[in-house]
Formats: sequence, structure tokens, C-alpha cells
Amino acid sequence: MLIEKLKSIVGVEGWVDEPAVLESHLTEWRGAYRGKTPLMVVPRTTSEVSELVRACAAERTAIVPQGGNTGLCGGAIPDSSNTQILLSLARLNRIRSVSPDDYSLVAEAGCVLADVQSQAREINRLFALSLAAEGSCQIGGNISTNAGGTNVLRFGTAREQVLGLEVVLADGSIWDGIRSLRKDTAGYDLKQLFIGAEGTLGIITAASLRLFPLPRDLHTAIIAVASPGDAVALLSDLRSQLSDQIQAFELISDRALRFVMRHIAGVRAPFAENHPWYVLIEGSVPGGQKGFDTVLMNTMDRGLALNAIVAGSLREADEFWRLRHSISEAQKSEGASLKHDVSVPVGRIGDFIRSAESAVQKVLADARVVAFGHVGDGNVHFNISQPKSQSLEQFGGYAAALSDAVYSVTLAFNGSISAEHGIGKAKRELLRKVRGETELSLMRAVKQALDPANIMNPGKVL
Amino acid sequence: MEKILVGLKRVVDYNVRVRVKSDGSGVDTDGVKMSINPFDEIALEEALRIRERGEAKEVIVVSIGTSEAQQQLRTGLAMGADRAILVESTTAVDPLTSAKMFLKLIEKENPDLVILGKQAIDNDNIQTGQMLAALWGRPQATFASELVFDGNRAKVTREVDIGLETIEIDLPAVITADLRLNEPRYVKLPDIMKAKKKPLEQISAADLAVATVNALVESAYEPPQQRQKGIMVSDVPELVAALKDKGLV
Ligand SMILES: Cc1cc2nc3c(=O)[nH]c(=O)nc-3n(C[C@H](O)[C@H](O)[C@H](O)COP(=O)(O)OP(=O)(O)OC[C@H]3O[C@@H](n4cnc5c(N)ncnc54)[C@H](O)[C@@H]3O)c2cc1C
Repeated sequence: MLIEKLKSIVGVEGWVDEPAVLESHLTEWRGAYRGKTPLMVVPRTTSEVSELVRACAAERTAIVPQGGNTGLCGGAIPDSSNTQILLSLARLNRIRSVSPDDYSLVAEAGCVLADVQSQAREINRLFALSLAAEGSCQIGGNISTNAGGTNVLRFGTAREQVLGLEVVLADGSIWDGIRSLRKDTAGYDLKQLFIGAEGTLGIITAASLRLFPLPRDLHTAIIAVASPGDAVALLSDLRSQLSDQIQAFELISDRALRFVMRHIAGVRAPFAENHPWYVLIEGSVPGGQKGFDTVLMNTMDRGLALNAIVAGSLREADEFWRLRHSISEAQKSEGASLKHDVSVPVGRIGDFIRSAESAVQKVLADARVVAFGHVGDGNVHFNISQPKSQSLEQFGGYAAALSDAVYSVTLAFNGSISAEHGIGKAKRELLRKVRGETELSLMRAVKQALDPANIMNPGKVL
Repeated sequence: MEKILVGLKRVVDYNVRVRVKSDGSGVDTDGVKMSINPFDEIALEEALRIRERGEAKEVIVVSIGTSEAQQQLRTGLAMGADRAILVESTTAVDPLTSAKMFLKLIEKENPDLVILGKQAIDNDNIQTGQMLAALWGRPQATFASELVFDGNRAKVTREVDIGLETIEIDLPAVITADLRLNEPRYVKLPDIMKAKKKPLEQISAADLAVATVNALVESAYEPPQQRQKGIMVSDVPELVAALKDKGLV
């Protein structure tokens, strides 16, 4: 009954139930989660989304919203009961308007991030959110996970890019909160609730997004450093020398780089010699290339940097970024990897990596730590690759103890167990452990108020 | 060989989406990333490798352009060139005039080899190297993808429409570099600093006393027409009807 009704709302081109087509929508990127669904609906308009939700609400049937399905915590995958309806935003993908003078644009939730970026560039503006999955993740997914990425240091997370939202609520009603105001203190700022809610409070159908002027004179370099501690000192120094014009500061361990050189085609080593750590930096510097070079040389003279290469062209800058963006892919070819997306106060990153590494080694001496990430904003991807000496099963036996070790060190450093990937299915238990009762009951109260029947992506986050 | 002369042109970076100024007077370069013409960078890399193999002693980079082209010359020096010459010109220089200016420098420097890019990606003329060889009265080997030297001769593999062609030429000569010749090195920061101390000579275009012909007149710039969105047709009759409809058959 319900299934027929849902099909009739979206029309013949708006639903899929063929297992072969559904396959990629029911498996998480790394294959860590698999789910089942009787039907995937692919609405084209907000009012279709509204009708779909209304129909599901009437039957108390759960809905799982899905964007590009690049999320890393299983949030976009239905459970295995074969009762949850999968709602893909892929066809709700128009740019509704662009306003250069307002420095904003309105995009529907299914717009692919890279398309939003290029729409902004068309009008000489920057949409600042940028991450390795930008060719397939969607703006609705980015907002729902409060994605971070490589530009957070200067431009903030997805949250800071959102000026207004249009949301279909759990009863099917539409909240039109599309505004482009910078200042608006009229009542509670409701959009904030839906940002990072991972689809558990409503379905985002469109967003008014903040744009920046395109940075001029953007320069890119790879700098070799002795330790993560030195990387942090270097960052601090550059930020003050350049009055905060650094927009990306990515830490890459030598092991991560070696994995990339080994498994990714068409890349080349930045330096002839090996260094223990590298940072990829991008900044717009007054005084052009010369200014940038001088500032960097200054840091080398003072021993903060061991060596550096500077991109002479945008093609070289792209090559540098490719190294950074290929780490996850390269790690896949080195066997299983345990991922920990954590954040700690920026100033303590050096100590954190050292402590976490030794805690991990105590559990499993051969564990291969692959640490990298958006260190400029305190985010470390503290991944552990399967040792060469162990089978997948043996390694699996250590997984819980290894993750425990990483998370306890993280908490000891006043860090977060989820920096930018969210909670989804993967970290529900963990969330309950690390947040106090007051905070958890507030979260439950919010969920209860917005989705009393618990049909919006149940089993995720809380 | 004693000397190799390499041309480095400052152009809008290859990865930039070029925009035409709203008044059609040229290409918008305000705030746009400028780089060494990629084929020139390959030319320089080749010259450096020749010198590093001990087959040449000195590599000189030359740019004809505004004083801002110093930046590209400094990059060339950081890559490893020994010295640089900027022929300063405030106006755009067409291929024939460039070739004549290069010839003046050749008369002064007496290089054994001149390596240029096969084309500059701004105007895509593909003329300067050829014109220079003719004016100089020396052999040319264009679109080079491999170079081997044997005394006073060079064996050059060229990329031609039907594949590869290998020719032998006498030096001195003009060679133009194609994409596959090599992959230019990354520039290390300490080398950028050292390059600041290398000599960069500035000459004004007027000093070279080259008679400019101005055979090339730029009248207006306009962006290429946007490609129309394609349509799907289900069979041949429908295709024919659609073509007829547009007056194409
Ligand atoms: C190679 C790679 C690199 C990555 N790098 C980064 C990075 O640097 N920074 C970072 O933050 N993340 C990163 N990620 C994770 C991922 O790309 C982001 O979490 C992204 O924001 C997810 O977008 P998506 O459209 O794929 O969402 P999905 O994976 O489809 O969904 C994510 C969650 O949001 C919900 N959701 C999706 N759309 C909506 C909507 N319209 N309304 C309500 N809920 C919705 C889903 O139910 C799910 O809970 C990376 C992933 C990969 C594969």
C-alpha cells in the first residue's frame, strides 16, 4: 500500500527497487555497513519530499535520507530490517539563485559539492567548503554531517557556510528558512539544529549558502618538518606573520606519503630525500610569490622547516593536493585500516600524536599508524593500518582495544571522538560514553520535539 | 656545448579558466595566476638536464615581456638556469618580432643551441621557433620529444601527426619542446633564495633596435560560443528531421 503510494508521488522515474541498482546505495564507501530497503525514492522537488514524508509518517515508516553516500559513519545506510525507505536527494539538484552582491547562492540539497563550488567561481566567488569527496558528496549531506575538510582553518566548517535552510519536517510540513542574512536574532536560530543532525531531525531540501571573494594570489607549498610539534609551531608562526591568510594546513606523515607513492598511479615524490613529516600549505599572501617565498624562508632559517617546495603553477599545486587527497585511497591497498577522526586543541597536536602512538604500540607493537589531517584546525585522522605480519582476522581481534587506546588519549587531551565525520551508526555507543547525562538528555529532548514518532533516520546518532 | 639559450614566456596559468574583458579589449589578467608557459618550462628542464650531464656549460633564460616577467625568470633561475635576460616591452610582441629579438640576443651570446617551447599557450601561434631558425639561417627541430647529442650533431625525435619521426641536425640549431620531452622539476625554496643572487640583465626592447612590423593587428576578443546542449533522438528519421529543422541538411 505505502510502497504504491510512494511510487505514485514520485512517478515512474522517481523510484528504484532493483537490487542491482540499489547495491551502491546500500553499501557504505568502505563496505563497513550494508543495509536493506524495500524502495528507494528519488524526488525532484521539495513538495514531493514533503508528500513522501507525510505518507511515511502516516504509517510510522522510517526514512533514511541519502546524499552522495560518501559519509564514513554509516549514517546514510538503512538498517537490515528491509522496512526503512531510502530517500535519495540526487535529483533535487538545481541551483535556485545566485547573488554576487549578497555573496550568497541558494542550492538544492542534491547539488554535488564540486558543482556548487564551480557555480560560485562562475560569478567570481568562492564557496569555501572543500574535501576529497567533493566530486560526489552533496551539499545536503555536507550540511547534515557539518563537514569540515581542508579550508576550515580560514573559512570554518559547513555550519559557517549556511545562511538559511529549507527543511521537510518529520510530519511532512515544509519549513522555509531560506534567508541570506548575516544578522538575524529573531528567535531561536533553528537552522543550527539541522546542521550536523545527520538526517535525524528532518530532511534538508535546500540551503542558502555563504560565498567569499575568490582569494587572490593563492600559493601552495609542501614543507618538510621534523615532528608534528614543529608543524604546529610553524603554523602558529605563519598565522601571525601572514595575519591569518593561511587557508589550508594539512599534515602528512612519511608513512602516509609512502603509501601514496606505492599505490597511486601518476604521482611523484615531492623531495628526493625522505623526511619524517610534511605539511601542505595554501595561503594568499600580500606581496605575491615573493612575499610567500620570503615568509617561508624565514621559517626555514629559524629551523622550523627542514625543506620546502613551492608550486610554480596551478598544475603543480594540483599535484600537491593529489598527494594529500589520495591517502585514504592508498591506505585501502595496504589492508584493513581502523580510522579515528579525532580533534584536539591545536597547540597539543604534537603531544597527542606522540601519546596516542605509544598507547597504540602498547596494544599492538606492529600496528602501522598513519596519521594525517587538517591539523590547522586540530583535526587528526589517526588511522591504523593492518600490520603486514597479521591476517585480517588477527588484526580484527585487536580493533576494539586499539580504538579504546586512541579515544582515551583523545579524551585525556580534551579532544573530541568525532571531529568531522559525525556519529552515524559507527559511534553511537561511544557518544553515550563521552557525553554526560545532562547533555544526552538535552539531545533526546530535541529529537523528541522534532521527531516524536522517531521516523527520521532512526538508529543513528542517539 | 658552451651555451644554451632558453625562452620563458609569462602566460596566464594553464589551469585558469580564461575570461574575456567585458569591453572585448583583451583577456582579463587582473588577479589571475601567471606562470611560465608550460612548454617553455619543459624546454628549460631539458637544457638543465643537458648541462647536468656535462654536455653544456651554461643555461641562459630569456623572456620578452613586461617587467613582471622577472618573476618567471627568477623561477627559471631557481630551477637551475645560470643567468637571465629580460627584454622589457610594455606592448604585446608578435612572433616575428620575438624571433627578431631572439636573433639579436643570439648575435650577442653565440649560443650552440636555442630551446623554445613548441608554442605559447596564450596565443597558440606555433611560429617563433620556426621563424627564428629561418632568420638565423640554422636548422630547426620542432615538437621534440627526445634529444640525444653527439658532438656537433643532435638526434631529435619529433612528434608528428602520424607518430614519431627522428631527424639529425647540425648545431647550432633551434629546437622546440613538446609535452613528452620531460617532466619539469619542482622548485625548492632554498634554490629560490639562491636564485635571487643570480644575474638578471634587463634590456629595453628599444635597445635591441628591432624594427617592429606590426603585421598582426588585434581588433577584438570574444569568448567562444557556448556549446549547445545535445539532444537525444531515437532513430535516423528523427535525426534527419532535427537536422532539417535546423537548416543543416
Ligand atoms: C575520500 C573521502 C574523503 C572525505 N573527506 C572528508 C573531509 O575532509 N571532511 C569531512 O568532513 N568529511 C569527509 N568525508 C566524509 C563525507 O564526504 C562527508 O561526511 C560528506 O559531508 C557526506 O556527504 P554525502 O552527500 O555523501 O552524505 P551521505 O553520506 O549520503 O549522508 C551523510 C549523512 O547525512 C544524512 N543526509 C544526507 N543528505 C541529507 C539531507 N539532504 N537531509 C538530511 N540528512 C541528510 C544521511 O542520512 C547521513 O546520515 C570524506 C569521505 C570520503 C569518501
